[in-house]
Amino acid sequence: MDKTTLKLLGGWLLFGVIMCLLPLVVSTGTLRILIFAHFLAIFAMSWDILSGRTGYISFGHPFLIGIAGYTTAILSFRYGVPIYFSIPAAVAATMVGGTLFFVPALRIRGTYFALVTLAFMEILYQMTKVVAPKVTGGTRGISGIETIVTGAVPNYYLTFAAMFVIGLLLWLLVRTRIGIALSAIQMDEEAVKSAGLNTTKLKLFAFMVSAAVAGIGGAFYVHYLGSIAPRGIFEINFLFTILIAALIGGAGTIVGPIIGAYFLTMLLEFLRPVLPGMERYFLYGIVALVVYVYQPNGIHSLLASARRHLSVGKS
Amino acid sequence: MLRNILAGLAVAMVAIWSLSAPPPASAADTVKVGYIGSFDTDTGKSTIRGTEIAIEELNAAGGVLGGRMIELVKADTREDVAEGIRAYEYLNEVENVDFIISGSIDDVSLGWLERMAEYRTPTLDTWTSFIGIIDKVVEDYDKYKMYFMNVACDFALAMLYVDFGKDVLAKDMGWKTVVVMQEDTAFAGGVYELIEQVLAPEANIKILEHIVYDINTVDFAPIYNKAAASKPDFIYLISSVRSQVPASQYVKLEVPVPMTGINVAALGKEFWTDSGGLGGGISTLSPIPSLGFELDERSADFYARYQAKYGDARPIFPHFNGFNAYYGMLNAFAAAERAGGFAPLDKWVEEMENEDIVIEKDGEMWLRYAFWKPGEIEPRTNREYTHNIKFDIQPPYDQGAPSMVVIQWYSDGSTSVVYPPKYANGKFEVPDWLK
Repeated sequence: MDKTTLKLLGGWLLFGVIMCLLPLVVSTGTLRILIFAHFLAIFAMSWDILSGRTGYISFGHPFLIGIAGYTTAILSFRYGVPIYFSIPAAVAATMVGGTLFFVPALRIRGTYFALVTLAFMEILYQMTKVVAPKVTGGTRGISGIETIVTGAVPNYYLTFAAMFVIGLLLWLLVRTRIGIALSAIQMDEEAVKSAGLNTTKLKLFAFMVSAAVAGIGGAFYVHYLGSIAPRGIFEINFLFTILIAALIGGAGTIVGPIIGAYFLTMLLEFLRPVLPGMERYFLYGIVALVVYVYQPNGIHSLLASARRHLSVGKS
Repeated sequence: MLRNILAGLAVAMVAIWSLSAPPPASAADTVKVGYIGSFDTDTGKSTIRGTEIAIEELNAAGGVLGGRMIELVKADTREDVAEGIRAYEYLNEVENVDFIISGSIDDVSLGWLERMAEYRTPTLDTWTSFIGIIDKVVEDYDKYKMYFMNVACDFALAMLYVDFGKDVLAKDMGWKTVVVMQEDTAFAGGVYELIEQVLAPEANIKILEHIVYDINTVDFAPIYNKAAASKPDFIYLISSVRSQVPASQYVKLEVPVPMTGINVAALGKEFWTDSGGLGGGISTLSPIPSLGFELDERSADFYARYQAKYGDARPIFPHFNGFNAYYGMLNAFAAAERAGGFAPLDKWVEEMENEDIVIEKDGEMWLRYAFWKPGEIEPRTNREYTHNIKFDIQPPYDQGAPSMVVIQWYSDGSTSVVYPPKYANGKFEVPDWLK
């Protein structure tokens, strides 16, 4: 492991320690906000490992989250399966079901790929309402789903641990040769093929990792909310929030989506006491736009250049 | 490098710390009421305004619980399930409210219900009528006992609508077949299930076709053509979102089939202008008090204050949940006075179950804001409705108000209640072009 990686791992460690100490100094209300930030970070990282790295833009991530959410909700709520079985089953279902659906999509590029993934989301949205509504709960969904833990502090630690472990593993993954090859696909897929690498396998791998992460996030999310409804998962706004978190934080960096998720969630909740209505979404849109126009590579890049400036100033 | 990371983290910590700061300054020792629901819809505004008028009244009378003033804090759900859960968390963990009044729609209420059970916060729903929530209170009373709903649940609404179906649609009009046009929402899906299971078999009306349309539909011509092609005796519309669109196009297209059902836009006085004056002939089921409903003295006084306070700002006539919010607040605080506050919860719940605002008109029961108690059985349906408003679904409606009325829009822009007979002040009509 090189010196830079070790230093950055120190940064992760420090981040983990500080976040673990946070419940000692902030209110439970703040922890509740951070819990949603953790979920958004997991979903945004899931999107990032597929779309941010390979350039294959997915508009269907709620489809993956929905498979996981509904699988664990139905198994645990309808059939009494213990959640320590239903959650892994949900992740497996997301990977299997999602992969089967996405294999043909991996042969399609660009806008078509994005639209096909969007279609998957819409299909599952309609399916949850019309196919066996007594099992899925139909349009009203399922309420009263078992929670893993209760209370702000336990949920904060649980979701932070999940986000931190996923983030760290993905960050390490993108620094391997596979991670570099995935980035190369985004730059010039033909060149990667010419180099003798199997790009279909690489893309499939990226999707499976992405599906697994979305599956873990989706299953935990539903057991945190205690309910699931089609409108809550397959909402275009939910999809946009995931995309914006990844883009505004810095797509393709893994750390960026985490920053983006914290930034967006905290900005919205910070504005709530002052602007409780729709106005805060207007302001949020402006702030997001300004950040994105000023630095299209996201906050991650903004922080990196600030750090460089500081280093130059000191030397 | 490490120093730079530390600097970055320090910035993040400051940002997080700022979020943990106490909420905006509020008057010392106030009682906090939280509103959860939409800020932008007419129905959401109705609950907010009904709550505000009740607060003004209670504060003007010297305050509550030993002279404390009531303060209202609001959390927008944008009619989104996850946002509703966040809003419920915000009201409890940041604002520390004592009581929550809700104008949420079905799936949003279902979303935050588990948080309510966790926080044990007394909560009153004024809009959603989903019986699934009442069933949860019946089945697991200890977990959900802090929940009250002061609009008659959809099952009770449907039972009385069955009577309308039998008495008016089948008997008076001679209609035997229907095409159901339903928007793609949780609310409409639930209503359709009730029509299929209860209305159609009991009123002996056959469903020829069931059409589900997207709430963003702008052109209803193909849908109406499809409905008319089945040659039903009437169309049953279930619409709660942008309901003026299917209604106005129905009139504009002069669809050759009568139409009734549930049209939430037609519950508001703005329906006439929203539909471009094309609302004549539309009828809709409505919880009460509704447009066209003769108001008793007390409710008329509430409406007068509503008009004085909000003037021409829509909705110029509060939807039923505006009245529910007003009377529900009076219920909740009267119970709190007797219980010594909203905590301990059991004491407040017990007193809320004993609440009973009876409103008479011309010497007979007109409205009633009370609740079904645990174990109490409604005689017609032979089932429990714990913590649902104490409705009455059997004439002469002397144990409570009926669960619903049917209101009719006429081609001159006026409205009347046409069912049940005790409350009727107009006649059920088909549109002019079908007469």
